[in-house]
Amino acid sequence: MTTIYLVDDHELFLSGVRTELSERFDVRGWSTDVDGAVDGIRKNRPDVVLVDVHMPGGGGLSVVANVLQTNPDIRFLALSVSDAPEDVIAMIRAGARGYVTKSIEPDALADAIERVAAGDAVFSPKLAGFVLDAFSNTVPVEADPELDRLTPREREVLRQIARGYAYKQVANRLSISVKTVETHVSSVLRKLQLSNRHELARWATERRIV
Amino acid sequence: MNTQDESLLNVSSERFQVLRGRLTRSTGDRIVAGLAGGTAARLGIPTVFVRAAFVALTLAGGFGVLCYVVGWLTTPDERQYGSMIVADRPATTSQEVGLSLGFLALLVILEAVGLWFGPIVWPAALFIFGAAMVWDRSSAESRDRMSRFARPTGDDSSRSRAQVIVGVALMAVGIVVVLASLDSFQALGPVAIAVLLTAAGFMLLFGPWILGLFEDLTEERRARIRSEERADMAAHLHDSVLQTLALIQRSDDPQRMTTLARAQERDLRAWLFEPATTADGGTVGEAVSAAAAKIEADFNVPVEVVVVGDRIIDDATGPLVASAAEAMANAAEHSGARTVSVYVECSKDAAEAWVTDQGSGFDVDGVPEQRRGISESIVARMARSGGEASVVSRPGEGTEIHLRSESR
Repeated sequence: MTTIYLVDDHELFLSGVRTELSERFDVRGWSTDVDGAVDGIRKNRPDVVLVDVHMPGGGGLSVVANVLQTNPDIRFLALSVSDAPEDVIAMIRAGARGYVTKSIEPDALADAIERVAAGDAVFSPKLAGFVLDAFSNTVPVEADPELDRLTPREREVLRQIARGYAYKQVANRLSISVKTVETHVSSVLRKLQLSNRHELARWATERRIV
Repeated sequence: MNTQDESLLNVSSERFQVLRGRLTRSTGDRIVAGLAGGTAARLGIPTVFVRAAFVALTLAGGFGVLCYVVGWLTTPDERQYGSMIVADRPATTSQEVGLSLGFLALLVILEAVGLWFGPIVWPAALFIFGAAMVWDRSSAESRDRMSRFARPTGDDSSRSRAQVIVGVALMAVGIVVVLASLDSFQALGPVAIAVLLTAAGFMLLFGPWILGLFEDLTEERRARIRSEERADMAAHLHDSVLQTLALIQRSDDPQRMTTLARAQERDLRAWLFEPATTADGGTVGEAVSAAAAKIEADFNVPVEVVVVGDRIIDDATGPLVASAAEAMANAAEHSGARTVSVYVECSKDAAEAWVTDQGSGFDVDGVPEQRRGISESIVARMARSGGEASVVSRPGEGTEIHLRSESR
């Protein structure tokens, strides 16, 4: 059974998620603050950490950054009420492998956790939209074409996700395997984390559309 | 997990380390391009020493200017990483000593290779670093108490007093050596030298204090703006969120509560995150989001809108927005889907929208007269404006309506 750890400063939300997920996952622990979370995660070594973005004391960003320094094999799924672009991009670039909003349905959340546990990336429709937007302004100044550009296929996969289709449906619609969809999304995640292009950061701060 | 994914993860975490340690140009602490500020933050030493180093290296045949220009060209602006930058720790004493020795070695090498403006360089370097030490200590003190200058040797720690003494001593040695080695200075006469020295001393002692006054003024103005913003926010929360919470407490109908909560969430998000000023006439993205909000309230079905690129509404995109709204309403009312997804993409050549639901679907060429009528009206509307629309649906597999209008 996949082991998980929950980090959220809202106790009510935390207990709600705990109840929803306790049937499908082994909930190793939870924490409501940044320092407690870092200690708890290091001690419990869960497969996946569900981490809130906005918390006092540095927020989810510093949890991810601190834990990945010592335990690079722990995966993070960001879970937040905010889908402001700068939050999403910052969490992904810090090392989170997915980003979902708190309005996600319980089943979809459980699927997302399994996907992250398996080493894949999880993109919500909004996140897919952000990436398409950030990589769309075709400024020819690209330091690394491999990292700074999406392939047509990756773009098509992201478009399908942005339209609300699940990975399986995307696979069907594009006549490719689910594994191939996962590979494309993981590759986009990698570009998102590694690309140095200026547009990415500028876009995230300038375009504050929710 | 497979090895490919594992290596992917390792790469990403390594990369993160690199980003943390990466040299960037500071945006807050800058005089020219922020290179000294960024370097100082990276090394964990006060910026004034890095600035002193650049000045001293400039005396060495202009090497400092060269270093600065090259550094400027090769380092990114720190804004590029936004909140990724983690503050570096201050340097330890041994690191400070190491840096100083390294710098001395660099000067010796430069002298050896002949990048040198003559005998003035060594005393000038001494003077610059002495001044930097005094300045650094003074500005650190002025931060907590401006009146400290009235009694400079009052309750300083021994380290800061030692720093001031060493700094002044270095300056004095530098001045003496300069005076002794340069004949031209003697021509200036003792009065001019006295004036120069007094002015320099005055600047060193009171410069940080004058700067501090300016900073305090700016800080005060910032605080005032912040408190105004807070009052503004309190007023808005009172009018919206608190009212909605009161309504929810009085409501027995779960459906109504959800609707209220969704509507309030949307409203709050718009207020928090959307830019205050919008272009005349609005954009396609804004109009589609507004239509989605209305449909969500009317039919109690969440409508998720994703917008990529955006554009001002014109003759071509107006019908696209109206058709998208109609398609959303249609999906919300008839499909039985839990959510409706809307994806809008505006590029240079065209604006496109996809309205997708994963509800009951229908046979496009077949029966339900009512739905066919609606999809036909959408197709007709798009055709009239020179655009196109297509409907893909099968019973049990949901519906996707694609709208497209070319740019003119």
